Order: sequence, then structure tokens, then C-alpha cells
Amino acid sequence: MTTSVPDGTTNPETGDVVVRLRGIGKTFPGVIANHDIDIDVRRGTVHAIVGENGAGKSTLMKILYGVQKPDSGTIEIHGRPVDLGSPSDAIGAGVGMVFQHFMLADNFTVLENVVLGAEKLHGIGDAARAEIRRLSEAYGLDVDPDVLVEDLGVGARQRIEILKVLYRGASVIILDEPTAVLVPQEVDELFDNLRELKAEGLAVIFISHKLDEVLSVADTVTVVRRGTTVDTRPAAGVTSRQLAELMVGSELPSPSTETSTVTDQPVLEVRDLTLPAPTAGLAGTGGRPLLSDVDLTIHRGEILGVAGVEGNGQAELVEAIMGMRPGATGSVRLFGADLGGLSTRRRREAGIGYIPEDRHRHALLLDAPLWENRVLGHQTREPNVSGPFIDRKGARTDTQRIVEEYDVRTPGIDVLARALSGGNQQKLIIGREMTGEPSLLVAAHPTRGVDVGAQAAIWDHIKRARRDGLAVLLISADLDELIGLSDTIRVILRGRLVPGAFDPATVTPQQLGSAMTGAGDDAAGDVA
Amino acid sequence: MRRLTKVTAVAGVAVLVLAGAGCAKKSTDSEDSSASGKDCVAKVDTKVGMAFDVGGRGDQSFNDSAAKGLDKAECELGFEVQTAEAQDGEAESAREGRLQQLVDAGYNPVIAVGFAYSSAVGKIAKENPDVNFAIVDDAVEGDNIANLLFAEEQGSFLVGAAAALKTESDNIGFVGGVETPLIKKFEVGYEAGAKAVNPDIKIQSRYLTQPPDFSGFGDPAKGKTAAEGMFDKGADIVYHAAGGSGAGVFEAAKDADAKAIGVDSDQALTADPSVRDVILTSMLKNIDVAVFSYLQGVADGKAPTGPTVYDLKVDGVGYSKTGGQVDDIASKLDEYKKQIVDGSITVPSE
Amino acid sequence: MTDQRLKRLGLALAAPALALVAAFLITSLVLVVAGDSVGGVWGQILSIPEARGLTNIVNSATVYYLSGVAVAIGFRMNLFNIGVDGQYRVASFAAAVVAGEAWLPGWLNTAAAILAAMLVGAAWAGIAGLLRVTRGVSEVISTIMLNAIATALVAFLLRKAAVDDPGSNITATKEIPEGSRIPGFTLFPGAPNQVYGFVFIAIVVGVVYWLVINKTRFGFDLRATGLSETAAVASGIDVKKMILVSMLLSGAAAGLVGLPILFGEAFAYGSTFQSGLGFAGIAIALLGRNHPVGIALGALLFAFLDEQSNPLQIVQDVSPDIVKITQGVIVLTVVIAYEVVRRYGVRLEQRQVAAALDAERRTGSTSKEVTG
Repeated sequence: MTTSVPDGTTNPETGDVVVRLRGIGKTFPGVIANHDIDIDVRRGTVHAIVGENGAGKSTLMKILYGVQKPDSGTIEIHGRPVDLGSPSDAIGAGVGMVFQHFMLADNFTVLENVVLGAEKLHGIGDAARAEIRRLSEAYGLDVDPDVLVEDLGVGARQRIEILKVLYRGASVIILDEPTAVLVPQEVDELFDNLRELKAEGLAVIFISHKLDEVLSVADTVTVVRRGTTVDTRPAAGVTSRQLAELMVGSELPSPSTETSTVTDQPVLEVRDLTLPAPTAGLAGTGGRPLLSDVDLTIHRGEILGVAGVEGNGQAELVEAIMGMRPGATGSVRLFGADLGGLSTRRRREAGIGYIPEDRHRHALLLDAPLWENRVLGHQTREPNVSGPFIDRKGARTDTQRIVEEYDVRTPGIDVLARALSGGNQQKLIIGREMTGEPSLLVAAHPTRGVDVGAQAAIWDHIKRARRDGLAVLLISADLDELIGLSDTIRVILRGRLVPGAFDPATVTPQQLGSAMTGAGDDAAGDVA
Repeated sequence: MRRLTKVTAVAGVAVLVLAGAGCAKKSTDSEDSSASGKDCVAKVDTKVGMAFDVGGRGDQSFNDSAAKGLDKAECELGFEVQTAEAQDGEAESAREGRLQQLVDAGYNPVIAVGFAYSSAVGKIAKENPDVNFAIVDDAVEGDNIANLLFAEEQGSFLVGAAAALKTESDNIGFVGGVETPLIKKFEVGYEAGAKAVNPDIKIQSRYLTQPPDFSGFGDPAKGKTAAEGMFDKGADIVYHAAGGSGAGVFEAAKDADAKAIGVDSDQALTADPSVRDVILTSMLKNIDVAVFSYLQGVADGKAPTGPTVYDLKVDGVGYSKTGGQVDDIASKLDEYKKQIVDGSITVPSE
Repeated sequence: MTDQRLKRLGLALAAPALALVAAFLITSLVLVVAGDSVGGVWGQILSIPEARGLTNIVNSATVYYLSGVAVAIGFRMNLFNIGVDGQYRVASFAAAVVAGEAWLPGWLNTAAAILAAMLVGAAWAGIAGLLRVTRGVSEVISTIMLNAIATALVAFLLRKAAVDDPGSNITATKEIPEGSRIPGFTLFPGAPNQVYGFVFIAIVVGVVYWLVINKTRFGFDLRATGLSETAAVASGIDVKKMILVSMLLSGAAAGLVGLPILFGEAFAYGSTFQSGLGFAGIAIALLGRNHPVGIALGALLFAFLDEQSNPLQIVQDVSPDIVKITQGVIVLTVVIAYEVVRRYGVRLEQRQVAAALDAERRTGSTSKEVTG
């Protein structure tokens, strides 16, 4: 665990505050994305903002970069209150952003990419070239203005993005998950660059959920959870365990564990499930399989929780079980019957309910009425169809039933799904996936982005179904949810299940957090 | 949002295509109409309607030639005239409708320009037995229909002879716009004329498109490519019967330092000034002569019916001498003309 | 809830109405700038057509309708079949050859020709579908390319299949024998021309389209894929298969586009066969919102404008091209108007839902707040 040595730069505790956020709040219909955000970013520091996906980091950054306007709160930059209506306002105020996905034109030179859209600053000729050379020199970015971007690697492209921001005169640079696309050596180079930047007096806002990296480069760390800032600490005095604990929280009203209903009848058996890396993998994935040799069994009445840091194979595991990932090898059995080769539809018909991770993209037709969304995924089954025809009446009646039983707050079933809040959308999805008496429910982040009331209701529904013998595969980033609901917890790390199960009755979020980051004592051997 | 962009893009394409369908536009009305020079006679009570083919007045070719005859009649015979033009790719009912509207508006006779009106004229003439119709370039039959036909093969024979007399490589070419029976007549006559001068002459022949693709009449790029190929293979004179694509043939001739022969009107006067000097001569198809002589018949109180072939004898076809490039062989060409007129040479037409 | 649906219907009608008004204004503006008589032009366009004109309107609307439906099948799945134009030309040619050769007697011959047209249209569109599914080629690009190839292919084949008609310059296939034609009927008394018998087939196509899209599982899958491909995959729809099948269906419908003309009027495929119908179909499908009734109204509107503009040159000395401007503006404004109305509708619903929730919140006592 490294902590950065303040190399003669401004003291993180006392330097000038360049960005001051106070009481920032942002609400989308039915979802509170941010509230009461308070952050001070000081000159000459790297300020990390950490939090699980969905915690509200991206909304916060969009607000700071002028993409979205906050509903409440104030933003001060260099001591002046600002009103950021668009990214160009933000650039004007000295805030620049480097996105995770680069925005560079491959067939342009570095010079052309940098001046694109900023032609007024130094023209497009020698003056601009000289300025790029100067910046490259000053910050050790090692950028040649006259090479084609398509000839450059990922690390160099990222440096161009940083240079673009500097070229536009930014004094505050936001980096969104900058290490996600880099190999370790490139990460080290990036961190060297960041140290140069802060030595020159800039402020860097570094967004990440990789705690080790955060601690090695940041001066200050702010933790965001459930839409608000939980704590801000100097990086020097904090451990990744402590950060993990802050990120996942432990004081939430946890779903209480009940008497075990686990039987010895296996419902889902997964053996040696492997999913090779896509052939044209990014440098960052390094050709590592997305899943390797995953074995797990879920019995009737059992909820198996899978914990893991985002991007370690949870999404792939779910999709492989649902038959959405061609190329997966190994066996998936439901009540002993091999599902291999069966299409997603056949698997659903065999009795698997599916709550996808991203409900807008995978679970709903946003521009279709609720009752048609009831049919989605169940368009071969009663009461939605009769023969080759959709049974409109049956589907509508049953949608009405779901709306009542699952307390979906809506004026009617002809409302478009888009009009509902996240929590109500999710309740409809849960209701839909629970009908037809599934024997297995695959639930990925079932309460993400959902308000607390809906969350409790969803937990209740899952628990009730478990009593009735449902087997559940539960993927969640919310460790309290996992601990509270699961009968067994497994941890996934780099596409593998960490050997050994955790007992939710005894495990703490801290222990899980360590296993998830591969940082703790009880983590499995590192997989290269 | 992304979807809106895509939909908008497609809508844009649709609009472009719709616009494109109606955008073969040209400069507006003629310059050399009634007002030019001659005193016109007082108006009489006869109203003449003319339905143009695609392109309409201002196409510097086929339709313009017909319009010229109509304008002459307006001035010299005192007729009231009205015109309407076709849209590219239009429905049969649109052509019928156009003719019927002219009839309904009291126009009699109604002249249809181009064979596309063939079945429309047949049908509308039958429905309106009291109205006289004329159609250019088509032999559709009817009691009240006059067919204005041309001996294109005879005119082509003369320019074919001219090409054979002028060539230095004994290698000439023919570019047809669209391979229709009509354009075939040009080719056959051209070949016969060239062979009459030199039986061993080499003639390269190409058509730009096949029906129903009529782009061969309006695509200079295609014309240029075809002519370039012929010049590369040794031809030094190329005759085109390809409407607007001919401009490309002229360009190719200029680039190859060779000669070309125009068609329908005297193209040494109407083509782009930069290429006029490569035009050896043009095969004249005097639709204006045919239209005027038909209307003359109407003025005389007896609208002609049935087919009339406008040939060399009545100067329905001929060749042009503008630019003086064929002055040296004019006597020979006129000799051929005489033999065709008196029947001692019969020019094949297919 | 019927209230909800009524409201949605009202919003759906607002968009085209808005677009028509905009098109009317812009066209008038063009006329004013060009110095033409605005009143005269609209007077002609909006006059009541005679029986002949009415017949023509119904006939060309029939053709436009089939084209619009063919495009709409693709649109429903977010597939942009720009190739209806090529598909109907290849298919009409095939039907003309089959019907002209008359291997079967009478009506059997007609049926065989219609079937041939649908198969050929489907095959031609299927090429684009196959390219999309196996190679990821955008169907927009491939169908545009296939249009160009269709032009060349038909030209090439027509030359082989054409019969010589001495004295005529029209190159055409063999005429369809009398017994295999589809007779028309007089719909408007006094009209010298007849409405295509094919209009009934077009109506059947519309009903089948409505039934399949709205009432069947297949139609649901198709619409779901169009609304969200990712959700379709997760719900178990084989998206690749759907792309291929809907391209085939779109092509089969496109195959019918030229047939009313072929069997009702032209009786042969030749050099004067109407072209550009596929592009009109795109505009009409957009205008009609892919709804079978909407497409019918759009087709009638376009046919009406076409027919009424034809005499403009004779009556008002204004080029009929002015209605091309009107039609183009309608298409552009209708797309924008639909999007505006859609967003307004969504916001309206969101507000309603929020209001309903608030009301409950006040009565109930869910005091749970997000913890800080």
C-alpha cells in the first residue's frame, strides 16, 4: 500500500480551494441521483472520488462538466460562483474532462486533433504546434504533434486527451476511470504524468473504484455512496479496507436473514464455465478469459450471492447462464438437464426468471406501454399468448395483477414504461419475472438505482419466493444486500470464483471488500 | 436521439430523391420564340397543346426542336399554344391525364412529343374522337392520330459517309444513348453510309445503357468513357446519338484531338463553346419541320392523320455545315443525298 | 385507461396536422418568392377532382400504399429498407415475364406471377438482410447499392425478354394474356378509366400487415426488436433471424408494388414502367407512422397531390414540381413534429405518474429517505 509523498507541492490540507461544491443535488423522475454533495478540491493535488457504480459519481462529474445542471447547491471555481450550462461553459471556467472513451479522430494527426474545435486559441499552424510542444515538454507528456493518432497506443492517446484539455487552458482536469483501458506499465506512466500536473499547480480529479491505484496517486479521497459524499480523507492515513467499508456502507437497514430454507435439491449446476476473451481485446484485458472454470450450485430455496468489483465477470456469468454469450464452454444444468445449446428463449421457458443489470437496455421497451412490457420475455407463454397470437386481454389482466401485487405506482397499464420511476419499473420487472413460477431467478443488481421504499419491497418479494422454493443467483454491488439476502456468498475476481464460500451470518462487509479487491489476507491466490 | 438522427437522415434521403425526380431542370422559356424578328400574323381561333417528354422545353435537343416548330406556328399561323412536360418515371395515368387536360382545356390538336406517349395517345385519342392528335417518333394507330416519323437512317447515312471520307485511320465510332429500336436506326444508317464510301472501314459501336434504364441519354460521364475507349482503339471520328451524354463524347474528342459528329440539332451551334470546333457536322432531325408542317395542314383546314415520314426529300433530316469542316466533301455528300432521294440508294433502317 | 389511449391518439394526429400546416406555409412562401399565384395554385390543388382524377388517385394510392407497407415492415424493426425501389422493379419484371409466358392458364397464371414477384422481391431484399446478419453491412448502404444493380439487371434481362413490336420504340416484355389480367371496376360514375382490381389485394395486404404486427407473437418480437435490440436479446428473441425474416417480408411486400400497374394497365414490363415508387414509399411510411391506416392516408395524400398538380402547368403555368417541394417538406416536418409530440407526450405522462405518486405519498407515510 503506497501513499504518495507530497513532493514539495501544496499541502492537501491547506492549499487554495479551486473547486468548491456545496449541497449539490440532482433528481431524476423518481430517483435521487445526487444530494448534499460537498467537495473541496485544492490546487496542486490529485483528488480521488471513489464509489461503486451507480453511487452517483458520473452524475456528479456531468454536473461539474456542465453536461447536466444541478437542481440545488452551488459550484465555485477559483472562488467565484459559476453556472455551468454546457461543457463549453466548463472549459471557459477552466474545467476539462478526459473521458474513459477517447474522442479522437484516428485519421488526423495529433496537432489536428488537439486544435479541432479550439482553432481560435493558437490557430492551426506553427503557433499551435509550438504550444503543443511547450505543453508536452512542461508536463512530460512526450507528445509529437505530427504523428497520426491511428499509429499511437492507448497510453499515448490518453496523453493526447490530457494535452487537449491543457491546450484549452484547464486548471482543473477530471479523469474518468482513466486506468480502465491501460496495462500496468501505462498506469505507472499516467501516474507520473499526474504528479507532473499537480507539481505545476493544477488540480486533478480522479474517478475510480480501484482502491490501490487511488491510494498510490491521490492526495485526498472522497467517497461517494448512494448519491452523496460520505467522507473525505487524506490518502496518507487511510487503507483500502477502510475505503471499501466506506464505499459499501454497513449501517443501512439491512435485509434481515431468516431461517434457512435451503434444501438439498440442486436447481442450477454450473461446471467449468469458461468464456474466452474477445479476440480483438483491448490492451487492458490482456487476453484474460472473461470467465474461467466457474463452478457453482444453487439449491431449491437458496439464494447464492456473488460479490465482486464491477467488471470482474459478473455480467458475463449472468449472460452465459442466460444463453446470451456464444462461445461459452462448460456445462449449465437446470434440474440436471443440460441447457447447453438452448437459446435464451428456451432457457426462459425452462423456468429461469431474469432481472438484467441494466433495466433500460435489457429489461424494458421504454416506448411501449406497461402491458406490452409484461409480455416481453414471456411472449411464448400463458397468459400472454394463445397460439401464434398475442392474448391482449390475458396480458392486460395479468399486468393489472402485477401492478397491484407488486405495488407498481402508475396511473394505468397503458402508460409508457419510460414514464415510470426506476423503482416502479423495477417492481414491474420483478413481478413479471416472478410469474409463471420460475424455478431459478437470475437477478443482477435488482435494487440498483431504486429508492429505499422500493428496495425493501423488492427484498421482500425475493425472500418470499425463496421460502416457496425459488433458487436465486443474486449479483450485487451492495454488500449489505448480499449479506442480508444470501444463504451463501461467493466472490468473483478476474473471471474466477474465489475458492470457498462465505457465510453471511458471520462475514463482514470489510472481509468481503478485501476479497473482492484481492487485497486482503483471506483473498485467493492472485490469478495472473 | 440517435434514432431521431437516423430517421431524419432517411427522411432527408427521401426528400432528396423526391426533389431529384423533378430536378432535371433547365433554363426557362425559349429565346427564339415568336418575338424574334419576323412579324407575326394575327391570332386565329386554333389552340394547340403540346405535351413534352421528360426534359421539356430547354433540353437543347429533342423537345426544343419540337418547341421550335410550335413557336413558328404560333407566330406564322397565329395559333394559341400551351405546353406541359413530363416528370421522370411518372405513371401512365399522368401521361394520359396530361393529354386529357389539354383536351379538356379546349386544345385541338394535341401533339405528344416522344414515344413514351404511345399508349396514352392511343387511349386518349380513342376517348376523344373529335380531337386531333399527333405523336412524334411513334407509329401508334388511330383515325385521329398523325405519326410524325423520321428517316433517321438517311441522315445518319450522310454523316456516316462524311466520317468515312474524313477519317485518316479508317476507323470510326458510334455511341448510342439507349439501345432502343429508334437509336438502332441511327447506327444502321451510319454504318451503311460509311461502308458506301469504304467497304473495309472499321466501325466501333457501343450503347451506354439498355432500356428501361434511360440514363444513357443524360450521362456525359458515360458518353465520355465510351468515346475515350474508341479513340484509344484507333478511331478518329465518333458519331453520337445519345442526347445529353453527347457532351461527354465531344469532350473525349477534344482530349484525344479527334472529331465528333453531333445529332438532332446543329450542335456546332448549341454545344458548349469550348468543344464546338471538334464537331465535324451534325445529323439534323428537324422535328420542328415536321411539327410545323403538321400544323400547316391543320391551318389549311385538314389535320393530317396516319404516318408521315420526314426524310431527306422534305428536309426532315439532313446534315449541318456549320464550321465549314465538311465543305470540301459537300459535293460528294450532296451526291449521296441525291441518290437517296431519287431511290438509287436504299438505306436500311434495321 | 381508455382516456390514456385517447390522449395518445390525439397526440398522434397532432403531428401530421402540424406537418401539413408547415408544408402549406412553406410551399406558399416558395410560390410568393417565385412570383407565382398562391391562390391559383392552391385553388387548383385543392379543387375537387373529376371522376377520372379520382380514379387515378385511388389507383396511384394503391401502388403507394403497397410501397409504404413494404418500407414500414422494415421501419417497425428499425431496419431502413431503402431498396424497395429496386425490389419492386426486379419483382415486377419477373412477374411480367411469368405472366407473359403464360405457362399456366388464366387465373393460375396470375397467381403464379404474383407469387414469383413476392419471391423475387424477397430474395432481392434478402441479400441485404443476409449481408447485415453475416457481415454487419448496414442495410441502408446495401439496399441503395442493390437499387443500382437492379436497374442494370432489369435492363440487361429486358433486352433478352423483350418482344419486337414493329414501329414502336417501346421495349417491353410479352403482353399478359387477357385471361390473366386483373379486371378493374368503375368506382366513380362517369369515369372513362377504371380502378385497379388490385386495390382489394392491397387492402388485404394492409389487414394482414396490421394483424401480424399487432396481434401475433411474431409481430411482437418484431416490434420489440425495433424498440430495443438489447432488450429483445435478453427476452430471448433471435435478433439475427428477425432481421433476415423482416427483410424478406419487406421485400415480398415490395414485390407487389408494381403489380397493380402490371395487371391493371400496362400488361407488360417495359421502358415506360413507372419508376421511383420505392422512394415515395419511404416518405409515405414516415408520414403514416408505419400504421396501416396512417399509410393509407399518406398514400392518398401523395396520390392526391400528384394528380392535382399535373394540370398546374396548363392551368396556372406553374411547374408541377412545386408539389414535390410540398411533399418533401411534409416528410421533413412530419419527422420533426412526431419527435416533438413524442417528447411532449412522454413528459406529460411522467408528470401524471409523478402526480399520482405524490398523491399517494401524502396520504401514506413513507418517510424513508435516502440515507446520507
